[in-house]
Formats: sequence, C-alpha cells, structure tokens
Amino acid sequence: MKRKLISMLLAGTMVLSLVACGGGGSDSGSGDSGDDAEAEVTTSDDENTLTVAAWDPSFNIPALEAAAADYKENVNADFNLEIVEQSGSSDIETKIKTAGSAGDYSTLTDIVLFQDHYFKQYQRDYPDAFVDINDADINWDDFAPEKIDYSTVDGVHYGAPVDGGTVICAYRVDLLEEAGYTIDDLTGITWEKFIEIGEAVYAKTGKYLATINSDGNDFIYLMLQAEGVSQFKDGKPYITENETLGEVVDLIVEMAQKNVLYFANSWSDYTDQVIGGDMVAGVMNGNWIIPTIKNVEANSGKWEITTMPTLSGEEGYASNGGSSLYITANCEKVDLAKDFLAYTFGGSTVTYDNALLDGGVVSTYTPAAESEVYQQGVEYFNDTPIYAQIAEWTANVPVIEQSDYHYTAREYLGAAIINIINGEDRDAQLKEAEDNLNFAMGN
Amino acid sequence: MEKKKGMGLVAKQKAAGWIYLAPATILIAIMSFWPMIQAFLTSLKTGSSANMQWVEPIFYNYTRMFQDKIFLRSIGNTFFYLIIQVPIMLVLAILLAQLLNNRDLRFKGFFRTCVFLPCATALVSYALIFKSLFATQGLINTILVDLHILKENYNFLGTSASAKVVIIIALIWRWTGYNMVFYLAGLQNIEYSVYEAAKIDGANGWKTFWGITVPLLKPTIIMTFIMSINGTLQLFDESVNLTNGGPANSTITMSHYIYNNSFGTSVANFGYASAMAFLVFILVAILAFINMKVGDTRD
Repeated sequence: MKRKLISMLLAGTMVLSLVACGGGGSDSGSGDSGDDAEAEVTTSDDENTLTVAAWDPSFNIPALEAAAADYKENVNADFNLEIVEQSGSSDIETKIKTAGSAGDYSTLTDIVLFQDHYFKQYQRDYPDAFVDINDADINWDDFAPEKIDYSTVDGVHYGAPVDGGTVICAYRVDLLEEAGYTIDDLTGITWEKFIEIGEAVYAKTGKYLATINSDGNDFIYLMLQAEGVSQFKDGKPYITENETLGEVVDLIVEMAQKNVLYFANSWSDYTDQVIGGDMVAGVMNGNWIIPTIKNVEANSGKWEITTMPTLSGEEGYASNGGSSLYITANCEKVDLAKDFLAYTFGGSTVTYDNALLDGGVVSTYTPAAESEVYQQGVEYFNDTPIYAQIAEWTANVPVIEQSDYHYTAREYLGAAIINIINGEDRDAQLKEAEDNLNFAMGN
Repeated sequence: MEKKKGMGLVAKQKAAGWIYLAPATILIAIMSFWPMIQAFLTSLKTGSSANMQWVEPIFYNYTRMFQDKIFLRSIGNTFFYLIIQVPIMLVLAILLAQLLNNRDLRFKGFFRTCVFLPCATALVSYALIFKSLFATQGLINTILVDLHILKENYNFLGTSASAKVVIIIALIWRWTGYNMVFYLAGLQNIEYSVYEAAKIDGANGWKTFWGITVPLLKPTIIMTFIMSINGTLQLFDESVNLTNGGPANSTITMSHYIYNNSFGTSVANFGYASAMAFLVFILVAILAFINMKVGDTRD
C-alpha cells in the first residue's frame, strides 16, 4: 500500500514537472499558437477570402493584418485575409518540400511568407510550387535592388517583399562612453579600430562589443557583403582563392581571442542568454533583431544604431534574412492575390506605416521611408529615428552573388572558424570547408 | 477410400493458419517492407524530390558517402558514443539490478521507480533540460563555480570534448533504468537456492556475481546489448536538441546528418539521405549478427 502511494506520488510530481517544462519551453519559441495539422486551414471557398501562412505573431503577422485592413478599407470591403500561424519559418519550408515531393499542393495556403535566402532553391527544386507575379501592378524599381534580387528567377518576379534584413550595428552608448568613445567613433571605421574599441569596452565594462551564433554563422556573410564580396563566384564556392574572405576570417578569430566577439552556442543562446542576458555592448544583425534587443527593458534609451565597419574604413551595408510573400500553386484566386499583394506590399505607405507601428517591420519600399512614421524618434534607441536610418541604408546594400547553398556554405565556414579558433591551421580549414561545399554541391 | 471434394482436414487447418497470419503479414508488407523497397530505390536516385532521376553510376550515392568527410565524422561520433556509453550503461544497469534484487532491501519499489523514471521522460524534453543544466549560465556551472571547482563558467556544450561527455552522461541517465528493468526481470528467473548453494560453498558476492548472475543473465545481456547498439546507432534527439551537432559538427550523429540532408538547412537530397540510412541499416544488421554469434552457447 505504502509502496503504491509513493510511486503514485512520484509519478504525480513527474507529470507536474513535465507540464511545467512544456510551459517554460514554449516561451523561447517565436510563436506557439496551436497549428495542428488536422485543423489547419488551407484555402477558403469564399471568393473574397485569401489564406496566408506566416510565423511570427509579434513581427510579420501584425504586418499582414495591417495589409489586410488597408486593402479592406480602400479596395474591397468584403475582403478577408485568414492568417494561418506557423511555429516557425521552417514549417513552411517543410510543407513545400513535402507537398512538392508528393506532387500535391493542396496542403498549401493561397499565399506563403517565405525566407528570401531559401526561395531560389525551392523554386528550382519545385518549379510548380509558386506562381509568378510578373504582371502584377508593382513598380519594382521602388524597392531595394538587393531585396528584389532574392525573389527574381531569370528575370521573372515571384515575391512581394515584406521585410528587409538590412544590417544594423546597435551599440550601448552608455558603455561606449565609459570606455571613452561615442557612436560616431564606431561609424565608418576599419575592423582594426573596431577591435581596439572592443578591447577597451571589454576591459572597462566586461561586455562584448559583438556576438555571433556559432551554429548559424551569419557574421562571415555580413562582413563579406559589406565588402561587396560573396562566398560564391560563378556558381562555384569562392573560399580559398578569396582573399577578402581570408582577411575576414582572420579578423573574426582575432576578435574572438581578444574578447571582442562572443560565441553563443545556438540561436536561443544568442537571443536569450547573450542579448537577453545583457552580456553585450553591441549587436550586429538584420534589423529584425531589434525586438530581441528591446527585451531588456532596463536598457531603454541606452542604445543607438549605426552602419557596419569595413576593411577600408568606409561605412558598410549588408543584409541578412528577410522574407517575401509568394502565391502558391494551390491558389485559385490568383488575380485577387496579385491585386492584394500589389496594392499593399507593392506600394501602400498605409500598409507599411502600420506594419512598422504594430510589428516593427521595416520596409524595403523606398517611398515608405519618406512617411512621417519613419521619421519619428524611437525611445528605446535614445529617441533617434532608427527606422529612417535603416530605410536609408537599405538602398545601399550591395547585390552579391547568391546561391542555393547559402546556408550550407555558412555552416561549413562556421565550422572552419571554430576549428581555427581552437588552433587549427587557417588555410587547411578553409580548404576543407571549400571541399565539403563542393562536395555538397556535387561539383 | 473415397476421396472428398475440396480440401482435407489438414489442408483446411493449414489454410486457416495462413488466413490468421494474413492480416499481420499484409500489414507488415505494406507498412514496412514496401517502404523499405521504395527507400532503396530512392537511394539510387538524385535530384529534387519532385523530379528524381536515376544516378549515374547507379551506386554513386553509396560510393559518395565514403568520401563525405562529415558523414565519416558522424560515423566516428556515433561509434564513439557506442563504445563509451553502452558498456558503462549496461554495467551500471546490471549493478543496480543486483542491488535492487536484494531480498533484505527496504523500499525496493521506491528505488526501482526512481531509477526507471528517466525512461518516462520524452527524449526532446530531457535533452532540453540537460541543455539548460549545462548551459554556460546554467545550474551545473553555477554550482561548480560556487564550489570553487571551476574558476569561471565553462562552455560545456560549446567545446567538442565536453559536449560529447554531456551527451554520454545524458544517455546514461536516460537509458540505464530502462535496461535495469530487463535485468531485474532476468534476475527473478534465477532460483534463490542457487545463490544459497554458492554461499554454502564459500563464494563471496563478487564471485557469485561473475559465476552465477552474469552467466545466467546472458540471454538478457545479449538482448540489451543488441537493443542498445541499435538505439545508439540511430541516436538523433540528443544530437539535435542538446548540441545541434556542434561545435563544428563534432557531436553530430549519423541520423542527425541524414536528417540534415533531407529536412535540415542544407539542400534537400532524399536520394543521398536514403543511401546513408541504408548504410545504418546494414551496420545495425552486422553488429546484431556478430552479437548473436558471440552470444550463441550452442556447440
């Protein structure tokens, strides 16, 4: 009897603790609303209703809601947009992969939000999955060329741009001041100067001036793009012959050794422990990182943003991430979908204003930046008009060669950097990364 | 003798037997064997899953994997886990089982439940718990620093050697109790009088253990060995959730790499992934075969 009681108690505590874990675990995810496959909406019978899959309830979903409200008010009063929330961008990628493999696209929504870097690969692998929007009423020249490049295949446009990934370098001005610097000292500087300041900041405050997610490895890509150089050349890996890449790798290793750059183990480590845990005096990433920075409320008003350092000391511009809306093969109301995309994300400042206000989505639509909303100072960032700054930089991001193997390249180069920091030979590691990449690409 | 029409009694019984077998056989064939054949065919193809082509030469996916450094490394990692973790775990399990089989021990049920409890945790949740325990700002670091064993927080999951150790500790925690239950069941089948006889003959605990327990438990030991080898070769959740294969692919397992090739960040390559999965299948089969031969007591 006693024994039974004890095991019951134990089982009870275990169930409770598991429930608690479940609750705790979902906090770190980007969104956790129920999206069970069985109950999931794909398309609607109503002729004025479109469905769209998106993933971030604090970022891109408010932007879509803003667009739907805009279209409903100004174009079609009966219009309705059903947003099917996913737990992450990879859900949509997996859906297209499985639908494409089965040759049955009926599991997709009318429109999907899709990560820019992945689009060309998926368009090539599943050419039937997406509908082109070349004839939609969008003036493509109004967008940043770097952004449009992602969603254009052989001159045919597929995507309506939503958010850009223009890189910001955000710094804690109070900590810089402690070390004897201002934000201007970090604008238009060389990486050597950056390291010098970083060392001073770490010595004074114990905080790192930059951080990198070691299993994501976007830092190399950002530094290269600011130089206008890619990891690829003519569709082939461009690593061992690429002198700029070599310099960038040396700098990253130096930064790591001098406590300027902190290596987080994973993305959640990066967002929750490093940025959320107030370990850094600077963050360098796509502007979608802003909400993560803002999570540390105590530091409101202490941040400001500027452009990237470069090898030559000019101001650097790069872009990382961002997504666009694509019409899928399962959409029967293609005309409505095209009109909706063209009217809203294709050129409505109303949509973009509200997307910025509600979700912090910074547009790549050049005229949107002239709107009043963009000129307002942001309290968290010391009342500086960061969105106007970002929009201005967006137009300057250089177009560099992209590849379907973008993430694979990042992965191999990231592994190489970790090994080099651990004392391996640089050239041998870069050679191995290039070999692995060539291998993965089937060259 | 008159010959009856239709089937005789024996034939009828045979037919009845086959009919009873049929549903399960058909289900296994459709749900298990057919996909295996399909997977084999896929492993000879390449290209995007919407438009797969036969590879040229036909076994290219199989030859390719032996030049794939990361796949070779993942094999190395998996065998590293196998060689270190399985023996430690099985020895621990057998010792725990022996302890819990003691007639004089009180609260046996309680201890048994305690040791078995980890097995009731879902793989992903326990991996996440270990991840937070061993995080740079996690509990283990805090304790070790407070006890002055470590000077500053150590990045357990960001250093390849310690990341491997953490994975092994996690595996031992999760699976020891599971194997212990098999041993306990095996121990119940050993007559207590055998031990008493050994005692009378003057054997101490150590001798009894090696002379009686282990030989009599042999079938159970072989079974747990095969299951553990099988499970370790297919190790996935820990690699994905604890370390994501990092740092620099130093903890990635075969299954994790196969997953990366089909649904991970890399370009989807179902053909190559299927080929690698088949290699795992062959490895499991070979190891199980060796194990059974070694354990075979028949002359």
